[in-house]
Amino acid sequence: MSHHYLQFDRVGYRYPGGREALRDVSLRITHGEKVALVGANGTGKSTLLLLAAGLLLPTEGEVSVGGIGLTPRTLPIVRQTVGLVFQNPDHQLFMPTVEEDVAFGPANMGLTPEEIEARVTAALESVGALHLRKESPCRLSGGQKRSAAIATVLAMEPSVLVLDEPTSDLDPRARRQTLELLKRFSHTMLAATHDMEMARELCPRMIVLRDGEIAADGAAETLFRDTDLLDACGLEPPCRMR
Amino acid sequence: MKNSLQNALCALDALERNARAESPMHRLDARAKLLATTVYLVTMLSVPLPQLSEILLYALFPMATATLGGMRLGPLLRRSLAVLPFVALIGIFNLLYDRTPALRIGTLTVTEGGIEFAAILLRGILSMAALLVLIGTTGFYALCRALQQSGIPRFLTVQLLFVYRYLRVLLEEALAMSRACDARSFGRKHPALRVWGTLVGQLLLRTFDRAEQIHRAMLARGFTGRIPDCTAGKPRWRRADTAFLTGWSLALIAARWSYPVETLTRLFR
Repeated sequence: MSHHYLQFDRVGYRYPGGREALRDVSLRITHGEKVALVGANGTGKSTLLLLAAGLLLPTEGEVSVGGIGLTPRTLPIVRQTVGLVFQNPDHQLFMPTVEEDVAFGPANMGLTPEEIEARVTAALESVGALHLRKESPCRLSGGQKRSAAIATVLAMEPSVLVLDEPTSDLDPRARRQTLELLKRFSHTMLAATHDMEMARELCPRMIVLRDGEIAADGAAETLFRDTDLLDACGLEPPCRMR
Repeated sequence: MKNSLQNALCALDALERNARAESPMHRLDARAKLLATTVYLVTMLSVPLPQLSEILLYALFPMATATLGGMRLGPLLRRSLAVLPFVALIGIFNLLYDRTPALRIGTLTVTEGGIEFAAILLRGILSMAALLVLIGTTGFYALCRALQQSGIPRFLTVQLLFVYRYLRVLLEEALAMSRACDARSFGRKHPALRVWGTLVGQLLLRTFDRAEQIHRAMLARGFTGRIPDCTAGKPRWRRADTAFLTGWSLALIAARWSYPVETLTRLFR
């Protein structure tokens, strides 16, 4: 088993307008870990995910994935290693058909048509969306779009899965299906979410963000019992733990 | 406005849906269709304007390829008419300035400018029809890739692809905003003029934001500015592609060279 992990060393990020989104963030996620990233709106969760996926470069500190530091030169390899599932599947799905969308990543990796075909089939099969391969993404339901979006990332066979609000906007059944799907994966996983039930079920570890800084990092079960911390960060424990 | 936005989105959908159908035209390589359409446009547009009947003959190409591609001719013609206002603007000067009488039908005198105006309209409609058949049997993505493979600079083909993709984003955002506006307009047909400025500004900002997200999604999957081939498993260049391209190219060039309508008219006179 390879030793891929995600590491942030005193990372800060300031947007071009001057707004500081992250400050002095240090964390390490080891191979196979499933980590929930929680925090109120605007605390920097999405920025942290974009940095992890190599879509932003830190303005301070260092991000590394599998021991490879994030620099303009290493962006392609980092983007292959870390698969990012966007909060809104409509942003992720941009090709005319689901099949072509799933093939987009592998095709950019320079794989042969046979390899691309095999990856597309395997990825769609793993999310139970093989029957949707010829469909237009615009015509899918919310749950189907989410599955297709996850398949587009799985087709690149990333070592780390980074998910931005994977269960938002889903009806209860689609939410449950997405959750069961994510539970099956053995990938290293970092999921930003407001869905505390999902965080509790899927992720043994939880990182709490507050105003662009890490307010707490530890076992999810323990942090959920710290009502003072949750209250200070604008969060609530899952219903089952209230 | 909401209905026209919805119609435009539906038309885009229909075109893309048609591009995923199965037919002999769909099975052809995108490059063969692209090159044949290019030959068609060059030969058709180079026919002198007064030769209206010769230009009319060129309607055969979009009609034949549309039929072969399972596209209905009625809707194709309706969509092709969308180009009329633009070409009419170009041709109107011929109608106004060239008033030399060309023929007389009863009491009506048709001027040379009138014939040229009609020829310009016809050229516009036929060009549009041929392009719609090309996109409708190929898909815009495959078409941009075919352009790239045919040696068109990458920055142009990628720009073309983005324009098409973001056109959809723009329409979707405009439709969402229009609905949100309608929901709080309480029966007013159009928002107040001063609201328009804000709406257009917001539309641009929202479209820009969504476009950036889509670009990020592309970067996250290794996009480097080159359109990758995502059509794994589809057939490559075959004999049928060579036959289609050669056959149509020869027919179109021969038609351009020999003026068949004029020749036949002379023979039967």
